[in-house]
Amino acid sequence: MADEALFLLLHNEMVTGVYKSADQGEVENGRCITKLENMGFRVGQGLIERFTKDTARFKDELDIMKFICKDFWTTIFKKQIDNLRTNHQGIYVLQDNKFRLLTQMSAGKQYLDHAPKYLAFTCGLIRGGLSNLGIKSIVTAEVSAMPACKFQVMIQKI
Amino acid sequence: MIGALPSPPPLPRFSGTHAHNPGVFLEYKLMYGMLFSIRSFVSKMSPVDMKDGFLAFQTSRYKLHYYETPTGVKVVMNTDLGVGPIRDVLHHIYSGLYVELVVKNPLCPLGQTVQSELFRSRLDAYIRSLPFFSARAG
Repeated sequence: MADEALFLLLHNEMVTGVYKSADQGEVENGRCITKLENMGFRVGQGLIERFTKDTARFKDELDIMKFICKDFWTTIFKKQIDNLRTNHQGIYVLQDNKFRLLTQMSAGKQYLDHAPKYLAFTCGLIRGGLSNLGIKSIVTAEVSAMPACKFQVMIQKI
Repeated sequence: MIGALPSPPPLPRFSGTHAHNPGVFLEYKLMYGMLFSIRSFVSKMSPVDMKDGFLAFQTSRYKLHYYETPTGVKVVMNTDLGVGPIRDVLHHIYSGLYVELVVKNPLCPLGQTVQSELFRSRLDAYIRSLPFFSARAG
């Protein structure tokens, strides 16, 4: 189980580090969140290459999203996404009721305003993974009550 | 009373509801000083090599249990006289609660009073679930 703790602690330090090395102006206009998201993007690209090297081609977009919810999430967070919803027109909502990077923080409303910082990297992970599977998207996250959170994926048709 | 006292700060920190009562800090200083002195006293007076060192002391009214980790975090619990050795309980408070919910929480700076409500509620629930906890004592 050492690898879980390692990733968690490293991720927490990364968020703290990005915020510490940013100036005041950057913190205010969300540049740090973008930095974290871009880091996640690059990591997600690499991870998806690694995880899909032996799997068959995906049938369609929904199949890709199911892969993200099941195998991708399981390999990274040791659990699956609890709920996937879509409007079949390019918007998917992935709901995780016990998000691994938030369980230690609080079980409700405490620290809620700090939660987005710890979700930015994971949004990037999803976006990077999808991008290397040929899907351009925008991924955002929202938290109403920790540790449950929702990732919203908007597919961009070029 | 349960306190997690990291050493070596001279003023011990405490995850309690008494955070705003200034008289309590005096109690913390006394507690820290006492524990530190007892620990060194015990190791000097021991006729053979000690394994665990200072475990607990008891008076005619209460028993104070003590557990220290290699990193210097101290867990103290006061109980009734009828309670036997509870080292594993204190160990679980450290490993299952403190490490999981405070150390791994990036928003809880180590060495300061624990603000995390999750830690407080889980600790409370754990203590209430112990076999020697009596609801009468509150």
